[in-house]
Amino acid sequence: MNIRYFGLELGRQLRNARSLVFTFAIPILLLVVFGGTYGSGFDKVVHLPWIVVTTVQEGGYAAMMAALAQAFTIVNERSVGWNRQLRITPLSGTGYLVSKVSATLAVGLLAILVIFGVSILGMHAQLSVGAWVMAGLGLWLGTIPFSLIAIFIAQFAKPSFAQPLFMITFLGLAILGGLWIPLDIMPHWVTNFAQIVPSYWLNRVGQMGASLSGNIGIPTLILGAWTAALAALIAWRYRRDSARA
Amino acid sequence: MTNAPAIRLTGLTKKFGTLTAVNDVNLTIRPGEVVALLGPNGAGKSTTIDLLLGLARPTSGDAQLFGEDPRQAIVDGRVGAMLQGGALLPTTTVRESVALIHSLHKHPLSVDDAMARAGVTDLAKQKIASLSGGQMQRARFAVAVVSNPDLLILDEPTAAMDVSARHSFWESMREFTELGKTVVFATHYLDEADTFADRIVILSAGRIIADGTPSEVKSVVSGRTLSFDASSSSGSGIGIDQFARLVGVTHTERKGTRVALQTEDSDATLRALLDLYPAASDIEIVSRNMDDAFMALTQHSATTDTALEGASK
Repeated sequence: MNIRYFGLELGRQLRNARSLVFTFAIPILLLVVFGGTYGSGFDKVVHLPWIVVTTVQEGGYAAMMAALAQAFTIVNERSVGWNRQLRITPLSGTGYLVSKVSATLAVGLLAILVIFGVSILGMHAQLSVGAWVMAGLGLWLGTIPFSLIAIFIAQFAKPSFAQPLFMITFLGLAILGGLWIPLDIMPHWVTNFAQIVPSYWLNRVGQMGASLSGNIGIPTLILGAWTAALAALIAWRYRRDSARA
Repeated sequence: MTNAPAIRLTGLTKKFGTLTAVNDVNLTIRPGEVVALLGPNGAGKSTTIDLLLGLARPTSGDAQLFGEDPRQAIVDGRVGAMLQGGALLPTTTVRESVALIHSLHKHPLSVDDAMARAGVTDLAKQKIASLSGGQMQRARFAVAVVSNPDLLILDEPTAAMDVSARHSFWESMREFTELGKTVVFATHYLDEADTFADRIVILSAGRIIADGTPSEVKSVVSGRTLSFDASSSSGSGIGIDQFARLVGVTHTERKGTRVALQTEDSDATLRALLDLYPAASDIEIVSRNMDDAFMALTQHSATTDTALEGASK
């Protein structure tokens, strides 16, 4: 593994973070609107103030979007032929994967920090430092399968096809995971289906962190399974990918 | 350094569906050789390069670099390449691009050294997107040499370059080859192959049809085509067989009213033609181009053993 390459790669991705402004705008808006309207309430199910529940929800949303949006970066890199250039270097398939995952995790972390910051400073959300850290950590680690989804989309999609594929994936994950609207108001079958969607567990793991309670075995297992399956597919694809496109 | 050849291709074949892009190619290139891979578009040059770098898997046969698997040679930093369809990131600077690749290698040149060799030191802070075609190719050359490779593979390195850019590119290349490095470059410019290579390998329809020194190859390609309008020749009783017997003529062809003579000595042929047939009009003399060369070479390989065929063995 090459630390210096990862450093350069990370710096490059963060310098492109300007494009992320749009990524952050929507969750911040939702946070301010929902938090401002219902913020004073208390969620009896997770035993947390509503504003905290909303913050975690929007933090998860922003991190997921930031991670998924990396698909475009990768598609562009692939389409100009950068991946072909990388394939004539010692960078292995695993090394490539690690470099991309760490770049998406970096922008994901940035997203979580921005949302939490807005919530604490702007919306006066109250939670112990330990609980914020656990919520943030939970969301952040939960972002890993989404960075893999981004890479997976980028590997298969042609530039023109990446946009719709991204939208479908993103909307599906946001709605089914209950990151937009509470799942309670959805039909029963949607709620059941949500149990296998990673975004549902991303939100859950964040809420568990915020309340410092709950069994993290199940989300770990499900998010871990998504991670393992996607990583295997990506590694397989990278080895076969000699696309000149 | 080992004694293993820089490149050894054995029975290399690649099929895409019904198309055979590379057809049973056997080729050994020794360390220190500068080899031009010449052929028209679609001859299989780029596919051969992908196969020898391990970027594509052969349908059958085998490619080795320095006696080992291509991937191993790449991991060891022994191979640098400028590939078709392999490009740099538009939003990075030249220096960043070189530094990114530099950071992946074990025993690289310094970033500054690589840029100096490619003549892009002045462009270090420029964004890739802002480079001209020639500058872009030089930046890619800097990326290709930064690993300090023993073998350099260049797929049409001077495409998109103007004449002076092409000249300065080959200057940089000279400095590299003088260090005793092995260079293989694909091109469809015969003059480039002739000037910079010690050895020319010609591919056509996925097969090696000629392999020899530039002078051996040129002997087949040389000569000119003399053509003229012969609409009044039958009236004056001159047959095509008489044109065929003119001095220097090797091949004769009739296309409508025009007659085309392939000749080894166009001056002598023209004088003889005007003596025989003063009414010849619209006379044209053109050098034979690469297409003619391929025609000539494919015909040669189909019929008799030539010097070139011998050289390829």
